Amino acid sequence: MDSIPYYPVNEFGPLMKGLVIGGVGILHVFLAQFAIGGGMLLYAFERRAQAGDQDARAFVDGYFKVLVLVSFVFGALTGVAMWFTTIQVGARTIGLMVDEFHWLWATEWVWFSIEVCAGYAFYRFGSKLDDRARRRLLGLYAIAAWMSLFWINGILSWQLTPGGWLDGDGMWAGFFNPTFWPSLLFRTAVASTLAALVACVVINTMDLPRDRKLLLIRAAARFAVPIAAMPVFALWFLAAIPEDSRSWLMGGSMPMTMFVGVAAGASALIGGYVIVGILLKRLMINGATATLLLALAFGATAAGEFVREGARKPFTVRGTLYSTSLTPAEVEQLRRVGATTHDPYPLRDEARYPSPQLIRGAKVHRALCDACHTMRGSNGLVELVTTWTDEQLRLNIAKLQRTKGFMPPFAGTAEDVEALVQLLKWEIDGTPAAWPTSADPIVLAQITRWLDEVGTSPKGGR
Amino acid sequence: MWPFTLEGHGVWLSLYLLTFCLHAVFVGYVLIGTGYTLVQAVRKVEDPIAERVRDRLPFMLGCGITAGVAPLLFLQLLYQRHFYSANLILGPRWGAVVPALIVGFYALYLAKSSEKWRRLALAVGTVCFLFVAWSWTEMNRVMQDEPAWKAMYAAGDRLYGSASIAPRLGLWLGVMTTMFAAVAAWSSPGAERTRLAIFGLAGRVVAGLALVVIASDGIVATHGWLYLFVAAVAVELVGWVLMLRAPGGTGLWIVTAAGSAGLLAGAVIREAPRLAILEAPRPAALEAGGFPVFAITFVVGVIVIGWIVKTIRTAR
Repeated sequence: MDSIPYYPVNEFGPLMKGLVIGGVGILHVFLAQFAIGGGMLLYAFERRAQAGDQDARAFVDGYFKVLVLVSFVFGALTGVAMWFTTIQVGARTIGLMVDEFHWLWATEWVWFSIEVCAGYAFYRFGSKLDDRARRRLLGLYAIAAWMSLFWINGILSWQLTPGGWLDGDGMWAGFFNPTFWPSLLFRTAVASTLAALVACVVINTMDLPRDRKLLLIRAAARFAVPIAAMPVFALWFLAAIPEDSRSWLMGGSMPMTMFVGVAAGASALIGGYVIVGILLKRLMINGATATLLLALAFGATAAGEFVREGARKPFTVRGTLYSTSLTPAEVEQLRRVGATTHDPYPLRDEARYPSPQLIRGAKVHRALCDACHTMRGSNGLVELVTTWTDEQLRLNIAKLQRTKGFMPPFAGTAEDVEALVQLLKWEIDGTPAAWPTSADPIVLAQITRWLDEVGTSPKGGR
Repeated sequence: MWPFTLEGHGVWLSLYLLTFCLHAVFVGYVLIGTGYTLVQAVRKVEDPIAERVRDRLPFMLGCGITAGVAPLLFLQLLYQRHFYSANLILGPRWGAVVPALIVGFYALYLAKSSEKWRRLALAVGTVCFLFVAWSWTEMNRVMQDEPAWKAMYAAGDRLYGSASIAPRLGLWLGVMTTMFAAVAAWSSPGAERTRLAIFGLAGRVVAGLALVVIASDGIVATHGWLYLFVAAVAVELVGWVLMLRAPGGTGLWIVTAAGSAGLLAGAVIREAPRLAILEAPRPAALEAGGFPVFAITFVVGVIVIGWIVKTIRTAR
C-alpha cells in the first residue's frame, strides 16, 4: 500500500474544489484564447496597414498594448496559477500529466517563450521597425501562440479520451486522441471570435469618424466567422467522447445539459449578431454592445469548460485515475485494507469528533468525498443526503457508482462505509456532543454483501 | 560529470539546473532592480541607471516568469511527492504567490508610466517580489523536512518559521544584487559601471556572510563543485575590481563569464542536499516519449529568439 501517495488535503470553506479550479481555469482559458486570436487578428490588420490603411496601423499599436497588458500579464500568470491550483485540488492528476507529457510540456514552453519574445519585441520596438520586420514579428507571435494551444490541447483532451494510450499504444496515441482535432478546431474558432469581439470594443475607443470605425469593425468581425463552424466541431467532439459522458451532456445530467445549452445559446447569439448583423446587414456595433457580446462569450467559455470538466467524471484521466485520485487497482486494494489505514495525516479538527468511528468517518470523507463535495457548502453532502434513511445511506454509498453513474466506486471497507454513514448522520443531527458507535455485525455484513455485489468497476466502463 | 548524467534523472536534473540559473538571472534583476529604483525614487535622484532599469523591469519580469516555468516542470519530475506535499501544506499562503506576482507586474507598469504613483508602485512591487522570494525559499526548506509535515498539517501552520530561512534568503539577495549589477552594467557607460561594480562587490559580501551562517550547519559533498564555485567567485571578484579601475575594459567580460560559472556551480551546491530526497524515477516518466520533438523545437526556438534579438538591434 506504500505505493499510494497520500497528500495533505486542504479545504476551501464553502467552495468545492471544482469551483476553485474552475474559476482559475475559466479565466485562464478565456485570456489565453484571446491572446491566440489576438495574434492572428493583429497579423491581418498589420497587412491591412501596410496596404495603406492608417486607421489599421493606429489600431494595431493601440490593440497590442491591450493584448500585452491583459493577456501577457494576466494570461501568463493565471497559467502558473493553474499549475499551483491543480496541485491543490488534484496533485496526483497533475503529477500523472507531467510524468506522461513532460517533453511535450517543455515543447509548449519553448513556443510560449518565442511568443513572449516576439510579443515584447513588437511592443517595444514595433514603431521603429520596417514593415517586413513588423509583419514577421507579428506572424511569429501568432504562430507561436497557436502552437502553444496545439500542444496543451493534446494534453488536456487526453484526460477525457486517452484513446489508444489506454491500450499501451504510447504517448503519441494519447496526444492525438479522438477529441484532439475537434477540440483544437473548436478552440481556434473561439480564439478568433474572442479577438474579433475585443477588437470591436477597442475600435469603439478610437477617435475616428463613424464610417471609418465601421470599416475597421467589419474587418475585425470577419474574424468571428469561424463561429459558424463551431456547431460542426461541437458535434464532432460529442461523437468522439465516451458514450456515458455523451449521455450526461444530452439529458442524463440536467446541470451538464443546461450548461451545454448555455454555451450553445450564447455562441448562437454572438454568431447571429456578428454574421447577420454586422457582416450581412452592415450594422454598426457600439462599445457597449461589443462588451455585452464579450460577456456572453465569457459565459459560453465558462459553460463549455464546465461541460468539458464534468464529462470526465468519474475520472480525471479516463480509465486511469478517478476523481478521488485513485487508480482502479488501488480501489480494489483499499476495499481490502481500508480507505485511510495508510493515510499518514491526522485530522486538523480531531477534537471536534466525539468518537473514534466519527474520526474515521471524517478521514474517509477527506480521502474519498472531499475532491468534489463539501460537508455543508457547495455540493454539500448534508444537503444531498439529509432525507435518506440509514439503509439508503449505506446502500447508496456502498454501491456509489450505481447511485450516480458519474460517481467513482467506493474505495474502502464496510467499516469505512459505516463510519461515513455515522459521520453524515451526526452532521445532519447538528453535531451533538455524544454519539453512539455503530458496530452491528449484521449491518456490516449487509454492507459487505453490497460492496461485493457492485464490485469495483465504474458504471460507465473505462 | 556529476550530477549531469544521461541516466535516470540526469537529463531532468541537468535541465532543471540550467533553466533555474536562467530564471534566477531574470528574477534577480527584477527583485533588486525594483528595490534599487525605489530607493532612487525616494531619494528623488536623477539616475540614468534607475531610469533604464525601470523601463526594462516589466519585460524582465515577463522573462523571469516564462523562464521559471521550465524549472517548475522539471522540479515536478525530480521531487514530485515532496514538492506537492510542501505546496499543499503551505496551502493558501502559497497560493498568494500568483496574486502577488500579478500585483507586482502591474505595479511595474504603473511605475514606468506614472511619475505620481511611482514610489508607491515600486514599494508595492518590492514587497510583492520579496514575498515571492521568501515563499520559494521556505518551500525549498519545507520540501526537505518531511518529519515536520504531519505536525504542520495538523496544526494548520502556514509558516515554516525555521531559522534556516533568513540566511538563505540573505544569500539569495546577495547573489541577486551581484547578478543585477552584472546585467545592468552591460547597458551602462563607464562612470555608471563603477557604481555597479561597488554593488557587485557588496552583493558578494552579503552572500559570503550568509554563506558562513549556512555552512555552520555542515556542507554536503559536491564532487568538486565547491572548488569550482570558489574559483569562479575569486575570478569574478578580480573582474569587479578591474571594472572599478577601468570601467570600459575587460572587467565586465570576466565578471560575466566567471559569474555564470559561479551561478551554475552555486546552483549545483544548493541542490546537493536536496538530492537526498530525490525520488525514484516513475516508469511512466522514464518511458515518456517526445524528447526528440522537444530537442528540435528547442534548437528552432533558440534560432528564432536569436533572430528576434538581431531584428530589434536593427530598430531605427
